[in-house]
Amino acid sequence: MALRTRIAVTFLLLLGAVLAAALTAVSIANRSNAEREARRQLEVGALVFTRLLDSNQRLLTQAARAVADDYGFREAVAARDTATLASALENSGARIGAALVVLTSLDGEVLAASGSHLSPGARFPGAIRHTHASEQAPQMMVEDGRIYQVVTVAVRSPLPVARISMGFALDESAARELSSLTGLGGPLSVRATSGWQPLVSTRPNGESASTDVAVRRLTLSDIGHDEVVATLSRSLADARAPFARLTNTLILIGSLSMVGFAWAAFWIARNITQPLQDLTRSVDRIRAGDYEVALAMHRPDELGVLADGLEHMQRAVQLRDRSIRRLAYEDTLTGLMNRTAFGGALESALERTGRTGRHERPERTGRDERHERPEPPHERPLAVARINLDRFRRINEHLGYAVGDEVLRTIAERLKGLAAAPLAAARLAGDQFAVLAELEVAADLAPWGAALLDALAAPASVDSQPIDLSMTVGLALAAKDTGADALLQRADLAVERARRAKRPLAIYEDGLAPAARDQLSLLGELRHALEHGELQLYFQPKLELATGRVCGAEVLLRWQHPTRGLLAPAAFIPFAEQTGFLRRMTRWTLERAIGQAAQWYRAGRPLALAVNIGADDLTDERLDSRIAQLLTVHQLPPALLTLELTESGFIDDAERALRMLDALRTLGVKLSIDDFGTGYSSLSLLARMPVQEVKIDRSFVQALESDPEFLAVVRSAIDMGHNLGLAVVAEGIETASSAERLRALHCDVGQGYLYAQPLPLAELDQWLLGRERVPVIAVPVSFRVEDLGDTVSLATY
Amino acid sequence: MRRATLRGARIALLGALGLHSMLAPAAAGATPVSITARTVAGLPVAGLIVILDPLDAPPPPAVHPHAVIDQVHKHFVPRVTVVRTGTAITLPNSDQIRHQVYSFSPAKTFNLKLYAGSPAVDVVFDKPGLVVLGCNIHDTMVAFVGVVDTPFFGTVSDSGELTLEVPAGRYRVRLWHPALSAATAPAEITVSAQTLSLPITLSLDTERETVAPWP
Repeated sequence: MALRTRIAVTFLLLLGAVLAAALTAVSIANRSNAEREARRQLEVGALVFTRLLDSNQRLLTQAARAVADDYGFREAVAARDTATLASALENSGARIGAALVVLTSLDGEVLAASGSHLSPGARFPGAIRHTHASEQAPQMMVEDGRIYQVVTVAVRSPLPVARISMGFALDESAARELSSLTGLGGPLSVRATSGWQPLVSTRPNGESASTDVAVRRLTLSDIGHDEVVATLSRSLADARAPFARLTNTLILIGSLSMVGFAWAAFWIARNITQPLQDLTRSVDRIRAGDYEVALAMHRPDELGVLADGLEHMQRAVQLRDRSIRRLAYEDTLTGLMNRTAFGGALESALERTGRTGRHERPERTGRDERHERPEPPHERPLAVARINLDRFRRINEHLGYAVGDEVLRTIAERLKGLAAAPLAAARLAGDQFAVLAELEVAADLAPWGAALLDALAAPASVDSQPIDLSMTVGLALAAKDTGADALLQRADLAVERARRAKRPLAIYEDGLAPAARDQLSLLGELRHALEHGELQLYFQPKLELATGRVCGAEVLLRWQHPTRGLLAPAAFIPFAEQTGFLRRMTRWTLERAIGQAAQWYRAGRPLALAVNIGADDLTDERLDSRIAQLLTVHQLPPALLTLELTESGFIDDAERALRMLDALRTLGVKLSIDDFGTGYSSLSLLARMPVQEVKIDRSFVQALESDPEFLAVVRSAIDMGHNLGLAVVAEGIETASSAERLRALHCDVGQGYLYAQPLPLAELDQWLLGRERVPVIAVPVSFRVEDLGDTVSLATY
Repeated sequence: MRRATLRGARIALLGALGLHSMLAPAAAGATPVSITARTVAGLPVAGLIVILDPLDAPPPPAVHPHAVIDQVHKHFVPRVTVVRTGTAITLPNSDQIRHQVYSFSPAKTFNLKLYAGSPAVDVVFDKPGLVVLGCNIHDTMVAFVGVVDTPFFGTVSDSGELTLEVPAGRYRVRLWHPALSAATAPAEITVSAQTLSLPITLSLDTERETVAPWP
């Protein structure tokens, strides 16, 4: 039950109980009072009745005495003058209204009687006892069915010679008069105990109308055999009547007070429950997350205290909520948004624009509304830029994490301080940042990206130490139906594109997308392939063109794809390069190749293997250590290992690449430049590279077939290589004629389908049988390498 | 019935003795009859009237019979009087207030209207029997007059004794007292020359409503 109802009902019940108790007590008291009162009145009535009878008696006595003492009457008595006596009796009786006047002898024989049925000679028992003392009870006599109050006196002449009995008839009128004199209001009945019917009653039928009476019985002595009993009654109902009025008044007061109290109780309860409901609503608001609305309940009582407490709590919750929000959505290091917040901002921005197709101006003041023309829907394009720091790990490792953090903070500050404030700026993870902005037109995308790059790429100064910053920026424009995730992904792909293109900035174009899904699945498959041996080493032999002797083999990867069949590197290497998976593949390849070479070496059939190294691999600072470790583990002479490098590896950071080459060279492995002639490397660079050979790209060799003028180019290339002291390898030899030509041009080594396609191990062994080989004398070298626990996982950035 | 006052009793006694002395001539041959009246308990009964009616010969005639019953202090004095038939009784009123003396007794019915001092006439009691006198005004005034035909009667003294001198012969004994209830006495006696003792035992009912009947 609601609190209000419970309070009100409880108090009403209490009041009701109290009133009921009071009413009951009053009723009981009234009842007993009424009864007591009735009985008292009955007593008074009885007293009055008795006094009336007494006064009747006195009257009768006086009258009787008057006639008894009359000389003339005594004379008549002595003379036994019956007639005179009778008339005298009648006269005296008439004086007082006595219905019965009888003169009897001392024996009770009637001598004369007035007006009654008694005739001389009859017996009159009433005269046996005569009135003497005044204290005697009124004498009653039942005579012929009627009651008389009788008094007897003696007639003295001078001694008693006769008696006179005089009596009032107690008939109905007398009874009624008596009854009214007593003031009881109840019926008076007089009956002889021998009979049930009253001889006289103020009620015509002599019955008591109700049982609700108090009754007083008076026994009046009788001159006879019966007792005469007078019954006075007092209606209790009448006696209770005034008290009943009191009770009714109480009931009325009680009812009114119940009503009034009910109203008051409800009002007071509402006064309590109303604020409680307000407080409850506030609690609901707080629970729903709305911490802003103030409670605004100021009362001096306990509810006010509760309200104040609630308000404090609300504020505390609000503060906590804010700090939680901050933790949830803020990047603690930089103060920018974190990935979650940025995603949210992106989504809400997209909702405002792209999805709905209609852009509402964020601010609309009242006065502009009058002048507003309905504007055509007009989209301001949303742009997302992902910014990846280059070589951040290097900063961390070489300069320390404190410096690295400071760098990140610097970039964050630059983002925050951009001239064109973006909608959102976030640090997604590690060294990745993202910016969301609203452009005026779509064409602004590239300039905006360039401006970003400009603002961010300036060198940073940490602890007064200048640090060069370079970053890759990928831009994507929100199109219709572009979700937030898709947009970020597009920007990411743009970054990859930029990386691949070795440019700092790239814009996402739709063509990039479709392969993405494929590529992602391909990546998973590639991992799987690596882990489950679907990747295999194929070997393409290299022969000395002059002698035809086998001098080595190039190690090529093949992927035995379960559904696509045997895949050539071109199908997956670029992808591996993009996804950074290449390093792992290279490591795998190196390990297998070195292992295989070591096996041949130990078996006494050493064969130099050449492994392709990508640009990514060169940036791996641990490459030399890894190779050193592998050589040591497998005990392969370093001279038996050749690393074929592409020129693209030198574009990015030539110095670093050169350093790595030097390190590799000191290991003793041979280095080779692959796809020579197709890259962009400068000749000076080529001179500085500690390589032993160059490989002329197959396109040159194939061109040699068709275009005789190409001959000069090839010759120049071969000569240059020789002039630099490098061995020259031609790959892609398919015809004997081109082989002949190359030999004529003094190319050292050839490789191609003319001799053998890339072969799996077993087939290579087969192919090698009976072929002359270039003798190799080399010794394994052990390198001391620290434990390379390589925990870097190659994930896409 | 009320006791006779002492004074009334003495007067009655003197009156009885006086009457007796008037009858003196027949002294020779008068035998005393000693009467003793006692209650059952042995107490003397004063005021008892004893009447001896001669049976042998008629009684001698009365000589100048006269009696007086006075009214003093609202009392008849003497209360009880016995007289010979034909006696005239004077009823003087010695009180300051007037009395009306009456009697409804059949033996003598008379009414002396209110008077003081001496009445106009004497009342002659000429019939034997009991006459009860009363005063009309005063209910308590009662006197008894017993009218007899014999000179031989007396009232027992306070000591319960009475001596009557009667000639020898047979006599009827009559007893009366206003409160007489029962008596044990011979109905007849025979008087000889010797003194006759006549013990009488009786009981009185002082509460009786009516007076004892005249024998």
